[in-house]
Order: sequence, then C-alpha cells, then structure tokens
Amino acid sequence: MDLRLSEDQKMIREAARDFLEGECPSSFVRDLEGSSTGHDPHLWQAMAELGLMGVSFPEEYGGLGKGFLELCVLIEEMGRFRLTGPFFTTVALCGMAIIRFGTQEQKSQYLGPIAGGERIMAYAALEPGRSWDTSSCALRAEEDDGAWILNGVKIFVPYAEAADDLLVLARTGEGSENGLTLFIVDTSDPGVSLKRLQTLGPEHQYEVLFEDVSVQGNRILGAPGRGLEASNMVSQWGAAAKCAQMVGGAQRVLEMSVEYAKERVQFGKPIGTFQAVQHNCANMAVDLDSSRFISYEAIWRLEEGLEAATEVSAAKAWVSDACSRVCRLGHGVHGAIGFTMEHDMQLYSRHCKEAELAFGDADWHREQVARRIGL
Amino acid sequence: MKIFVCIKQVPDTEAKIAPDGAGIDELAVEKWILNPYDEFAVEEAVRLKEASGDIEVVAVSLGPERVKGVFQTALAMGADRGIHIVTNDPLDPAQVAEALAAAVTDDGLPQLIFTGTVAIDDCANQVHLRLAHNLGASAAINVSSFSWTDEGAEVFSEAGNGSRNRLLLKAPAVVAVTRGINKPRYPTLPNIMKAKKKEVRRIELDALETGSGSPAVEITAIEAPEEFTGGTILEGESADTVPELVDRLHNEVRIV
Repeated sequence: MDLRLSEDQKMIREAARDFLEGECPSSFVRDLEGSSTGHDPHLWQAMAELGLMGVSFPEEYGGLGKGFLELCVLIEEMGRFRLTGPFFTTVALCGMAIIRFGTQEQKSQYLGPIAGGERIMAYAALEPGRSWDTSSCALRAEEDDGAWILNGVKIFVPYAEAADDLLVLARTGEGSENGLTLFIVDTSDPGVSLKRLQTLGPEHQYEVLFEDVSVQGNRILGAPGRGLEASNMVSQWGAAAKCAQMVGGAQRVLEMSVEYAKERVQFGKPIGTFQAVQHNCANMAVDLDSSRFISYEAIWRLEEGLEAATEVSAAKAWVSDACSRVCRLGHGVHGAIGFTMEHDMQLYSRHCKEAELAFGDADWHREQVARRIGL
Repeated sequence: MKIFVCIKQVPDTEAKIAPDGAGIDELAVEKWILNPYDEFAVEEAVRLKEASGDIEVVAVSLGPERVKGVFQTALAMGADRGIHIVTNDPLDPAQVAEALAAAVTDDGLPQLIFTGTVAIDDCANQVHLRLAHNLGASAAINVSSFSWTDEGAEVFSEAGNGSRNRLLLKAPAVVAVTRGINKPRYPTLPNIMKAKKKEVRRIELDALETGSGSPAVEITAIEAPEEFTGGTILEGESADTVPELVDRLHNEVRIV
C-alpha cells in the first residue's frame, strides 16, 4: 500500500509552497485579515496565473485536469502558510459544485473565469438558529413567472463582500429530498445586503439578507430540487478540505515548536531537553500524523467517488480535536511569547478554531459517525 | 537562435549545513534547489525567447542523478530542453568549465550563454569566465541589465561602489547575471506538468572530450563560523539600563 504522494502531487505541493513562502509572509497575512474585504486582488491574480484556482477543474475550462485530492494538497499548503481569502469557498465549494452539478452552460460560464482569477464565489448555506445539517434550510425561493424570488438570511458566508456570486441553498418545496435547490445569485442583484460578522477567526464572514431577490431559472445549479444531494456533497468536500487545511497549519505549529524547544534556554538547558516538553512535542507529532492519514483517507474516497460520509465525519471529528490539541500544546511550548499577538502562534490557533467549527464541529460529526455505525 | 543557460544545483539556503571534513554532509541536506543566480539567468533567457520568438533555450548542468531536479525548475520556467552531464566525481571550476564547453560545442555552439554570476555554495566565481575562454567567447560578469541587438549583447556590468560599466559583447558571448536583473517567475502548474515531457539528454562525463586527471583545486576543509561570544547584557531595571545603554552607544560605540 503506497501512501506517498504521487510525483505530480509532490510537484503541486512544492510549487505552492515556493509561491506561498515568497508571497505570504506573516505580515501579509496579518494585513489581509485587517483589510476591509480580506481579499487581495494582486495575490488572487498571481495565484490564478500560477494555475492554482484551476487545479481540480477540467482542462477544457482552463484547469489542470487534476482532482479533489490534488486540490486538498494545495489547501494543506495554504493552511501551512495560514493564508486566508476566498480561495476555499470559490474553488473547493462553489467550483467543485459547478463541476459536479452544473449544466454545460454553467460550467462554461463560471469555471473558466474562476480558473482565470476573474470570478469569486461564496457558498451560502448556514442560517441563524439552525444546525450544520443544511436540510433544515428555511430561506425560501418561490417561483414567479419563470424567475425565483428569494427571501431569507444566511450567516457565516465567507468573503461575501469580495464575491461576485453566491451559491445559495434555498427551499423550493417541502421536505428535504426534493425540496431544496441551489441558486447562483449575483451579489449585486437588488435585494442582497451584507453585514460583516465579528468572529474569532481570521476569515471575513458575513450575514447575507435576501429580500425579494429575483433569480432567473437558468441560475439554478443543475436542476430544481437537487439541492440536498448537492449541499451534502459540498459539506463533505468542505469538511474534508478543512481537515487538510488544519493538517497544514498543525504541521507548521509542530515545526515552530520543535525549533523553539531547541533554542529556548531555561535553567541552563534548551527546554527541548526536558521530558515534559519532549512528550508534548511527541504527542503533537502523533496527533498530526494521525490527522494527516485520516484526512487523506476521506479525501481519497471522495476523489474516487466512493461512499465517504462516515470517513469524512470521522476525519472531521478527529482532526478538529487533534489539531486543537496541537495548537494548545504549541502555545505551551512557546510559553509567554506564544501568547502574544506578535507571535504567529495565535494566527494558527485562531485559524484552527475557525476550521474546527466549519462544516460541523467535532461533537456533531461524532453523532454522524455514531448514527452510521448503527447507534 | 539557440541560447544555453548553465545551471547548478545547490543546497537550499534555509538548509542547515553540516561540515563533513572537506565537504558537507549531503545526506543531511533536505532540499536542493536551483542556484538563485542561475534562476535569474534562466528567467533572462526565457524573456529573450518570449520577446524574440524563434529562440531555443537549452539548460545545461553537471553532477550526480539528483541534479535532474534543477532541470524540472528550468524547464518549467520555460527552457525548451536540457543537457545533463552525469558525473559523481568532484570537479574543480576549471574541469566544470571544460565539461560545459565540450557539451555546448557538441550540441552546436550558440551565440549566447547565460550563467549566474556566482554559485551560493562554493562562491568560486570562475566557471563563467573559464567557459568563455574555452569557447573563445566574449564575457561579462555581474550583469544587471541585458539586451540583445544585431551587434551582440549590450549589458551593464556592476563594478562595485554603485558604479557600472556599459559593455557590448560580440557573439558568441557568455553573460553572467546578478541579482536585480529580473524577478524570476514562479513556474505555473500547467508548465510544471508540461516540463515532464521535455527532453533532458544525458551525457556521461567520460563521453565528452575533456582533459582527465585530478582536480587542480581541492577543498581541504570546510568549517562553520565561530560562535559569536561578544556582547554585553545590561541587567537591572530599565530606568537604569536605558541611560547606560544610550551612554555606551554614544561614547563607546559612537553610533548615536
């Protein structure tokens, strides 16, 4: 059983790492977080020119023709360099949804521009007071003379202000089986209003209000009533890719912690010689290793088109807890300096916390695993 | 028109180098990279090709099997093909220049050869000029600006202290470029994939008609720099130590 990355996957990782090392220092990431939209058009264009947006897109739409696994290798590197921005929601969520569920016309209309860095999209599914199970969606879309009128609210929509379009989950009928539909809504459409949410994490999240927003029928992703299937897939892709992102961040936290433990001298010795510190770093390594393998098993199954719901939930539950432990121990190894905003540890631990809560937290996913194993 | 670019594989600048007698512990080097100055050279060659159209860019290097890694970078940046002179022998700069000259001549002497002005591992700073001598070519080093004209290579060569010389090199010319001449592109993912299909011709060093024998220059030892033990720590409350620091900086070090 060969668990190594393929040569192509290694090349993608190396190319991404070289680029992000040069273009995304800590100072840039901090500025990005503090900016008005959380989006840097110059970096976005550079990423597009490099071909990062189109890694998992078919070649006919300007992509590299690789798959979800290669996309996650890329996202892992972004986690390593704690890069935020609309890449995840545009490519891993909306782009993947259009590839799988979009009409030919929609693929032609959206994938090429996304790959070329000309279009940003954000996924809007969560609603206030409702669970991560998107089948409980309440935002309504009523058909009116060939168009659909959307009314409702979505929260935790990432980078909505920077987005050109939103992929919105709406209720078009009763029940969840055939009662949900995904719509592509232009953010400049009348009736769409945004409010920035103040969150712990570095990503820019928004509440989006839809008041009599009119959407033409050709902007239904795929077909009416297929929203449940599509949103479930998006949730799985999102959860699995978030695991890859957390693994990338945890890898860097372990490296920083080991480097610090070798250099920091207390009581006349490097703190890395103390057994407690060694054990903590060892536990971080074990958590990281296990997180990587459980994540990539889920990612591989999704890539191969296999049933993956149990594996995705198992990964998300484990990785959410494990990477939080890694960050907590990383703060401990760094001591006081690790609790300052000047140090990069807080970038990683806030990023990790945000990812931990995205697409279902650890407890929610444990419930999914329990249900699937018959409890 | 054909342009050669001489490239060298070196340890990553972030790598921790462990001196190992007369060399370094190569097994401990986690990452090998294209010599950064050679990256400028590849970029300059590719830019000329993109501006002029009918140009073939050939990357050439020598060394053991692991050297093929730098060809991936050069080809992904836009070089058209490569020539790998395979050898596990340690060579001195004269021998390297001789081998490069033989390979270049064998492939068809070009009008222009780019190199980096220095390799960051040994900083020998000789191969470019020796190569030019072997080929009977004109040469310039520390080139910070380049353009190709009907008369040859028009370059600015940095002479130190902020001054520079403007030179016209008649073809064939060896141009050794330095930092600042350009900003090397990141290879795009599509070009990285395409680079896998580009040819890298292997030539065993023994197959080239070069002089044999031991290196005339031999590295006898590599040592890590001595640890800095100087400096003074001012202990106490800042209300006392700050005035003392200012006093020392003003009266002893004389920088404020």
